[in-house]
Amino acid sequence: MTLPAIADWTSQLRRGVLELCILQLLRRDPSYGYEIVTRLEALGPLAAGENTVYPLLRRLKTERLLDTFMQESPAGPPRQYYRLTADGKRRLTTLEKEWDAMVNAVARATRIGVES
Amino acid sequence: MTDAHPLVARYLARLDAGLQALPAPDRAEVVGEIRNHIAEATSSGQPVDKVLASLGSAEDLARGYAVELLLNRPPAVSPGMSRVRRFLALTGLIAIGSIPTFVVIVVLGAIGVSFIAAGLAVFVAGIAASAEWLPGYVTMDVEPWVAILIGPIMGMLGGAALVGLVAYVRFMARLVRRVVPKFRGSEVPGFTAP
Repeated sequence: MTLPAIADWTSQLRRGVLELCILQLLRRDPSYGYEIVTRLEALGPLAAGENTVYPLLRRLKTERLLDTFMQESPAGPPRQYYRLTADGKRRLTTLEKEWDAMVNAVARATRIGVES
Repeated sequence: MTDAHPLVARYLARLDAGLQALPAPDRAEVVGEIRNHIAEATSSGQPVDKVLASLGSAEDLARGYAVELLLNRPPAVSPGMSRVRRFLALTGLIAIGSIPTFVVIVVLGAIGVSFIAAGLAVFVAGIAASAEWLPGYVTMDVEPWVAILIGPIMGMLGGAALVGLVAYVRFMARLVRRVVPKFRGSEVPGFTAP
C-alpha cells in the first residue's frame, strides 16, 4: 500500500467516526463551534480540521440531529451553540451500537488471524 | 469586528463567493459561523494569519460545505420531481385523512367529554341518593350503589376515548411529518460541486 492510499483510508475512517464523536461531545452539554473544534483537535488521531468539522456540523443541523441557539459570550460576538435533538440522541445510541459491533468484529478478526 | 482586518474580510468574501449555490440565508449563517470562529480564535491569542491558515483556503472550506450538503442531502429534497411528489403526497394525505380525522376527533371528543360529565353526574347523584340529600321531587330508578358503580365506569370510558383521541392525533401528526420532513433552508437546489 502506498502512503497516499493510507492517508485516504484514514481520512475516510475519520469522517465516519467524526459524526459519532461530535454527537458524543454534545451528549450532555451544548457547545459552540470553536469549542467543538478545539476539543476535537485535542483528540490526536481523530483531529479533523475546521474545514471538515464546520461543514459536518452544518449537515447534522440540516438533518435535524442538532439544533442551534444563540448565547452571549463573556467577550466578543454571541456564540451559536449546538445541542442534540431527540433525533440526535437516537442517532447517537444507534451509532454507538454500530461502533461497538464494529470494534468487536475487528477484534475477533484479529484473534482469528493470530490463531490460525 | 474581525472583518476590520483586511485578510479576514477577503477570506469571508471568498467563502461567500464559493457558497453561491446555497440559499442566501444559509450562506449568511455559514459565513457568520466562520466569522465567529475567527473572532474566538484570535481573541484567544492566535494571530490572524495562523487562524486563517488553519481554516484552509476559503475555496476548500466552501467545497467542504458543498460536499457535505450535496452527498448527504436528504433523499426527499432531491431536485425536480421530488417537490411535486411531496406536494401530491401531502395533498393525498390530507384528502384521505381529513374526513376520517374529522369524524374520529368529533366522535371520540364527544364521547370523551360527555361520558366523563355524565359519569361524574351519575356518581354524584348516587352519592346524593344514598345520603338522602336528593330533594323529594327527584326519583331515581336504580339503587344508589348501582349509580355509584356505573358513574366511574362511564367516566373511565370517557377518559379512554380522550386517550385514544390524543393517540390518534399524535399518529396523524407523525404521518404528516414524514411527508414534510426537513423542508427548511437546507436545500441546495442545483448544487454542483466546484
